[in-house]
Amino acid sequence: MIGLLTDPVRHWWEYYRQRPFGRMVELFVARIFRGGGDSDTEGLDLGIGLALTLLALPGGFVSILLLDKYGTLLQWMRGTLNVDPLLMSVPDEYFFIVLSMAVTGAAAVWRWDAIFPDRRDYMNLVPLPISTRTIFLANLVAVLFLAGLTALDVNAASCILFPMVVGATQNKFVFFAKFAAVHAVGVVLASVFSFLAVFSMLGLLMALLPPRALRRISAYVRGIVVVYLVTLLATSFAVPDKLLRTKGPLPPWTLLFPSCWFLSLCQSLRGRASPAQIELSRLAVPGIVVLMVVALGCYAIGYHRHFVRIPEVAEAAVTAPTPRRSRLGALLERLVLRTPFQRGCFPFVWKTLVRSEIHRLVLTGIGGLGLVLASQALLNAFAGAKSLHQAALSPDALSIPFVLTFLIIIGLRIVFEIPVELRSNWVFQLMLDPDRQECQSLARKVVLTLALPLVLTIAFPAYVYLEGLRGALLHTLLVGTWSVLLTNIVLIRFRKVPFTCTLPIFKQHSIVLLLSVCFGYLLYAISTPEFESPAFAEPLRMIALVPVAALAWFIPHRLDKSTVDIEKKLIFEESGTRTIEALRLSD
Amino acid sequence: MLEAVHLTKRYASLPAVQDLSFSLRAGMVLGCLGPNGSGKSTTVKMLTGLLEPTRGVVQFDGHNIQDNLQAYRKRLGYVPEEAHLYPYLTGWEYLEMVGTLRGMASHTLETKLDSLLELFSLHPHRHASIGTYSKGMRQRILLIAAIMDNPDIFIFDEPLSGLDVASALIFKNLVQALGQQGKLVFYCSHVLEVVEKVCSDVLILRKGVVIAQDSVANIRQILGQSLENTFLHLVDDVDTMNVARDIVAAMKAA
Repeated sequence: MIGLLTDPVRHWWEYYRQRPFGRMVELFVARIFRGGGDSDTEGLDLGIGLALTLLALPGGFVSILLLDKYGTLLQWMRGTLNVDPLLMSVPDEYFFIVLSMAVTGAAAVWRWDAIFPDRRDYMNLVPLPISTRTIFLANLVAVLFLAGLTALDVNAASCILFPMVVGATQNKFVFFAKFAAVHAVGVVLASVFSFLAVFSMLGLLMALLPPRALRRISAYVRGIVVVYLVTLLATSFAVPDKLLRTKGPLPPWTLLFPSCWFLSLCQSLRGRASPAQIELSRLAVPGIVVLMVVALGCYAIGYHRHFVRIPEVAEAAVTAPTPRRSRLGALLERLVLRTPFQRGCFPFVWKTLVRSEIHRLVLTGIGGLGLVLASQALLNAFAGAKSLHQAALSPDALSIPFVLTFLIIIGLRIVFEIPVELRSNWVFQLMLDPDRQECQSLARKVVLTLALPLVLTIAFPAYVYLEGLRGALLHTLLVGTWSVLLTNIVLIRFRKVPFTCTLPIFKQHSIVLLLSVCFGYLLYAISTPEFESPAFAEPLRMIALVPVAALAWFIPHRLDKSTVDIEKKLIFEESGTRTIEALRLSD
Repeated sequence: MLEAVHLTKRYASLPAVQDLSFSLRAGMVLGCLGPNGSGKSTTVKMLTGLLEPTRGVVQFDGHNIQDNLQAYRKRLGYVPEEAHLYPYLTGWEYLEMVGTLRGMASHTLETKLDSLLELFSLHPHRHASIGTYSKGMRQRILLIAAIMDNPDIFIFDEPLSGLDVASALIFKNLVQALGQQGKLVFYCSHVLEVVEKVCSDVLILRKGVVIAQDSVANIRQILGQSLENTFLHLVDDVDTMNVARDIVAAMKAA
């Protein structure tokens, strides 16, 4: 049956891909997936299948996690009977909308450089007997195809699983079908909107800016988009509740969050929308149409400005001004970086973090999440407080540096695993002594030089002003110690120069690691400030944390000591644990 | 003296290099020739210690290089076949990193970098990112990285790739000068004229096996022809004129 449907499509595609236009569309689709840019980047080349699976995962996972909420047995145990599933599902519907927007937007930002044809395409395609207009159309078709594919892929799991979970208590198939159809319309349109928004932003920048300015500003714009997407995701904690409670006209800020338009659209299609929500839902489809027009217009202008003029833009190296060598950097080098390994690799790691697009993007995303959580904590701190003093000593306010340092440390640990220009790591393979075991120390220094100044420059002065020197010292000391201990824990058995090793393969204990991170967050960023808050009045209570700190120091120390030398060797390639090892006796 | 002693390298069970032996004395510039797939790159990787031989050893001054790879590499300058560099680092930053990893003192390093960048005409571009460099500029960065610590052994794998005429001429003279200074130079190339001009000795590989090894002068004397003809005679049993004619015919075919 499936074969009957797919065979004609396959034959049509086989016929079509033999034609120049079809071949170019195929080429552009592959290029967008595998990355573009003029550099021969091979850092994070995910295959199409794996990329689609990763994009589809969040929706599937979240749907499964919701079983807990909609399960009839659990509802009965909670004493919540006769619930209205449509009302109950509104916050989750909103979450799926923002999730689909965030994932699709992030995917578009990820492939930002590859969406438009670049110099390599120009050099390969323009000398062939193909008009630049055909290249333009082929790339456009590839972009639109991928936009549709991403929208479907990101939401595929949630469009099936979420309605099944919500409709579990309903006996009618019609309920499931209606719910699934409306949900699919909402999330797919939200995805398309998100993709088009990123696409038009890129097109607009290309249309307005000259190439060099575009290159310079592009990274910042991508960073802002990532922060916006994270913020959008974070709105799912508060927005649905506010929308449901508002009886009269909706607050004006709802106009700024397209996610509210799509939720209202879903509510309207289900006949559950208030008049204000119906008004808001009317923005959804015209919004997509306007974006589509803007995107196509900007794309055409941007294409003409950039692609067609590639040969006019000199490829020669630009003469850059001599950068100043900072005294702080020189001092740091002298005091902290003691070996040639550290002096050579430390600047490399820093420059990669600051200049590599992918690393910067991931860090920006984590930074955005940190900002959202910190703002939330700050708002909570002031919500019930009667004075500035009371707010400053609340667990919420005290948790801010813990939240930020936790995200920085974990974020950097994740980012260290993302490779950059693997083919260039020969220089490290050639020069570094694999037995020196300095990677852990190097990574620790990088993490702490990023995490600790934050505590010292923001938290310390703030608490000196609010609580005096003693309070500030206590708080800073605790955050600093916890940061050092957490860094030691996350760097157990770390034995690579960051960014120079292949991407780790998915391991069976990855789920355990993920759960450990969540548990660690609870302990580090929530329980510690909860304990610290009352201890401010009686500082001697802080002594109770000494055994905890000692244990947190001892465990990684002990684990590192017990590691055999061969497992401490510097590596440039991650290999899976083999069940059977070939002895190769014939060699 | 650098010696390859019965080097064999197999990938899975496929032999890339078989029983390769040669020696490289001080002042000798040994050219390595061979068609694609002859085992040149594998040989170079084993000589640099990037690849461990399946059998046999590489010895430097009588010691297996694998026994103290770091000490050996400290005395080695290597230019790989392809200029894979970190595009977001500037030329200066890359060279500074390499120099630091080699353990060069910072003041010596800066002075050397300044003068070498000037000599290789890269000084005005030293603070531009490598991503904006042309192929020849990247190649010059690799050359500077290889020579800046004044090593004793040089391994050049297609070092002229992408260099302009002036830089290529400078480099050819540099290789000869290095040989005259008593350095050991292993020079891999496809460009027969260059090997003929700059190398004192030549090693010809075919399918992972040495098929000829002697001084350039001796080879010429024995076979009585140019290195190009000798190479074709030994390596490729191909009538190049006939192949060219066949190609033209294939182009014309409907």
